[in-house]
Amino acid sequence: MKLLMIDDDTGLCELLSEYLSTQNFEVEAVHDGAQGLKLAQDNDYALILLDVMLPSMDGFEVLKQLRLSKLTPVIMLTAKGEDFDRIFGLELGADDYIPKPFNHRELLARVKAITRRIEHINTLSSSAPANNKLNINGLTINTAAREASIDEHTLTLTGTEYEVLTLLCKHAGEVVSKEKISEEVLGRRLASFDRSIDMHVSNIRKKIAEHIKTERIKTMRGTGYVFIQGE
Amino acid sequence: MSSYKENNTNYFAWLKHPTQYLFFKIFIWFWLTLISTVAALVFLSQLTATNLVMNEPLNGPMKKNLIYTAKGIERSVVKHKRTLSEVLAHPRYAKRKLLYITSNHSDDVYTNIDIPKDIDLSLLNFTKQMSAQVIFSDKYQAYGPIHLELLDGSYNIYEIDIKHQPPLLLSLKIMPNWMKVSIAVIASLILSFIFSRNIIAPINSLKKAAIKLSGGDLTARAKIPTSRNDELGILGRDFNAMANQLEQLLSAQKRLLADISHELRSPLTRLKMATGLAQIQANDASQSYLLRIEKEANQLDKMIADVLQVSRLEAKSQALSLQYQPLQIILNHVINDAQFEAKQHNKQLVVTGNADINFKCDEALIASALENLLRNAIKYANNSIALKLNCTDTINIEICDDGPGVPEQQLSKLCEPFFRQSDARDRVSGGTGLGLAIAKNAITAHNGTLSLSNKAQGGLCAKITFAITKE
Repeated sequence: MKLLMIDDDTGLCELLSEYLSTQNFEVEAVHDGAQGLKLAQDNDYALILLDVMLPSMDGFEVLKQLRLSKLTPVIMLTAKGEDFDRIFGLELGADDYIPKPFNHRELLARVKAITRRIEHINTLSSSAPANNKLNINGLTINTAAREASIDEHTLTLTGTEYEVLTLLCKHAGEVVSKEKISEEVLGRRLASFDRSIDMHVSNIRKKIAEHIKTERIKTMRGTGYVFIQGE
Repeated sequence: MSSYKENNTNYFAWLKHPTQYLFFKIFIWFWLTLISTVAALVFLSQLTATNLVMNEPLNGPMKKNLIYTAKGIERSVVKHKRTLSEVLAHPRYAKRKLLYITSNHSDDVYTNIDIPKDIDLSLLNFTKQMSAQVIFSDKYQAYGPIHLELLDGSYNIYEIDIKHQPPLLLSLKIMPNWMKVSIAVIASLILSFIFSRNIIAPINSLKKAAIKLSGGDLTARAKIPTSRNDELGILGRDFNAMANQLEQLLSAQKRLLADISHELRSPLTRLKMATGLAQIQANDASQSYLLRIEKEANQLDKMIADVLQVSRLEAKSQALSLQYQPLQIILNHVINDAQFEAKQHNKQLVVTGNADINFKCDEALIASALENLLRNAIKYANNSIALKLNCTDTINIEICDDGPGVPEQQLSKLCEPFFRQSDARDRVSGGTGLGLAIAKNAITAHNGTLSLSNKAQGGLCAKITFAITKE
């Protein structure tokens, strides 16, 4: 499986490539934002590891440009404690983030959580019947094509957003806790006061709101989210 | 100290405890000096008793005019053989100001119009032998005498100006004594006040700036007008220059700490990565060393994160994501973790009261402040830790342990970064020495206060107070 790493720390890129290659990942590393964006736009990577601080074009700008054309999963490498970086990255459509300096096992776990999902979907879509659809309250999710639409308008969701929405729809009408969403979608335990899930849900809401006015996802303060089933 | 603080808030605080203030001392001494000087002058002037009449020689057109009038009367009397009364009754004179003619050889008095009752012209008698004068009295102003030589002897003529206000000097002189005293008192009072203010204002400004500066507000400066070039002006400007220097040095030091910490992260990330790679290939013997390397790297990582957090909070550059949320939910998170940690150390965390209130805060920051305080309490407690919550007027959170407490003189230093009260113990327990600094700064960032004190029966108490925020 092919990953793209965009980070100006060449030493880290070498070590990480070596480490991930032992886990059957092939890593291509570039050390410059603009160059990285070009590669990401021209190729289909399984995952992109994107550093925030980059020469020529910072990580946020790369992500913003990339999201105009591609939904490739992105894990942002942020500096620890920089809450703003983390939230801003997720807002721009990053799938997850990992604070630097990270633990190699933690990084591997997150990479695997996301790639496994994609792999799973790929095998599923090739074998599953095409009519495998969820239909709730105007929202249609085609699990085979990994597509969601609301009132016939297609939603352009990142992989993580799609997963979150699908999970909420599968449990429509009931409260899904943030912890559950984090574990099922991001493959990790939700740390205290982690806003990642809130950011993903907020992105989904914005995308739904482009097409319909009524609120579909309700926040249960302090606990989780509910997809409203309708009358 | 308390009176200084009072003065910051209340401009007239010096009225309460006047003797403590330099302003009052300068003011009162200057005033007393002025008052006694004035009193001495008044007393001396009273000794030389003076009449309520003043005079000065008459010159210029007024004198010529009067002489002309006198000559006219003389001519009328001598040439036309009329009596003085007849001449004065003539409309030509009757319409003029009061003319007053006295005889040198008898008590006869002639006037062109009736003399008002309240006017006493007998005072003019003492001037009979003098040359022409202006005579001031409280009711009138007289010009004269001009000598007239008539058939039956010599006369003196005066022109009297009744409506004329007494001149300033005279009105001062004829003023009642109580008024003189009060004017002197009030004038000297105002003068002394202005004088003392002028001296004390820059000192007060310096004092306020110094208090703020020592309280940690590095932007505090004394307000000294640039036009002021005396010793106080120079002192004020020197003080400001010193404060500038201090601010620059401290901010440079903080920035340096933050920059270094930030730069340490890249090699640390590589170190962790390399350790990970080594762990994959290592044999059992070296595995334990690699674990140790990993643990130390994690500790280093934690310290760098803490340093960065403290410096961000101190520099107030951390953007707070403030939101209204139930405080109890945040507390529950923290309490759950702390309870777990306490149990591991065979200690007990007792929670009383609740925080059933919506509070506008950055939850992660508040949680880390409480976590750090609780962790500290758990570390030093012998058996139990008490967490008391109360949200009636203000939000009060009290965390007390039953440990050895802290020597009084070290209480104020506890919240300084890297302050350790006993090296050995803290290193064993693996603290970074930044927990309380983070807590203190996080609480201050929410406009709250953190006060540390020793309990009478032993143990340290951390008391957090926030104002209740209205949604």
